[in-house]
Amino acid sequence: MDLRIEEPQETELNMTPMIDIVFQLIIFFLLSLKFKTIDRRIESMLPDDRGLQSIPETPVDEQKIKFKVFRRELASPTNAYTLIKLDNAAQFRLPAGWKGRRLESADRVKQYDAVLATITESLRTRIATYGGMPDAVKGEIVAPPPHGGAVPHGDVVSLLNTFIDVGLMDVRFEGTANPLNKADSAARR
Amino acid sequence: MAARDIIPEAEDAKMNMTPMIDMTFLLVVFFMLTIDLSSKEFFPVELPYATEGIEDKTDETAEIKRFVINITRDGKIYFKDNEFDLASEDPGVQDDNIVALRTALRQIHEAGGGVIMREKDGASKVPVMIHADWGTKWKYVQWVMQACAHPDIKIYKLQFAVKKPPTDDE
Repeated sequence: MDLRIEEPQETELNMTPMIDIVFQLIIFFLLSLKFKTIDRRIESMLPDDRGLQSIPETPVDEQKIKFKVFRRELASPTNAYTLIKLDNAAQFRLPAGWKGRRLESADRVKQYDAVLATITESLRTRIATYGGMPDAVKGEIVAPPPHGGAVPHGDVVSLLNTFIDVGLMDVRFEGTANPLNKADSAARR
Repeated sequence: MAARDIIPEAEDAKMNMTPMIDMTFLLVVFFMLTIDLSSKEFFPVELPYATEGIEDKTDETAEIKRFVINITRDGKIYFKDNEFDLASEDPGVQDDNIVALRTALRQIHEAGGGVIMREKDGASKVPVMIHADWGTKWKYVQWVMQACAHPDIKIYKLQFAVKKPPTDDE
């Protein structure tokens, strides 16, 4: 009779499934890793003195620079453009059919920036007539309904940017009231 | 046949897995720690460009986290996993959606999560970031701003998410 106890074999852990899982995890985290999408922001304050009520006319002695924005040729996406009026005097036109900076050719981007540069220049001239103190001047971006409401957000931000560029930080927005401001829906509030 | 006798038979070669597994675990830990789930609050939109924007540094220690309101090009609002469609043809639906957005904003202030979200005069302490597509119709942005400034909500601190325009050499 053979009573010898068998010598224990060298046990070995099978690493393969663990490595498989760990690689899966790595791939998951790699793919779900998302880099920051916003890198910049513009700070702004909503007027707390107004809310939704209409305000009395601003005093006439206030130094004010007003942009009026309109979207024209709304029916055609290739011809639609944004018209900007500076204090009802000067007019500027952003390139028609603008699809956004990333999608446009370099020439068109230059054209867009050139318009904004002329606007900035006009703003500087206006501020110079007010004594060159942008802090004392108020800016206003008005989007009169109905065509003002269709102006792309990006164009309004570009105008806001020109204001900040010339050092004018007090900007007010005015424009299309939301549907609930209408008298017929007042009861719902 | 003498050569065969000289070359020793190849032994069962085994790779040492330990260093690779160590590195792999380190990688897993690294990705786990760096993954930022909060970025999910940003809906993918094409942001407007602005040269004067300030660097967006989220302050993790801030007592109150800002709200992010996403507005897509077709007039849909995404706020805290809720969708509000402002571009609906039916003005009644538009009304309902604006009311729903207001309600959502107000409820968050009331719930608070243990943080006092209002100043003594009732104004909200919470900044709102408007994360809107550049092509969004401006009226939708205005409606959102009006909803924020509504007497029930009183959010006055606002941020517009923008992108720095690429420079020529990029």
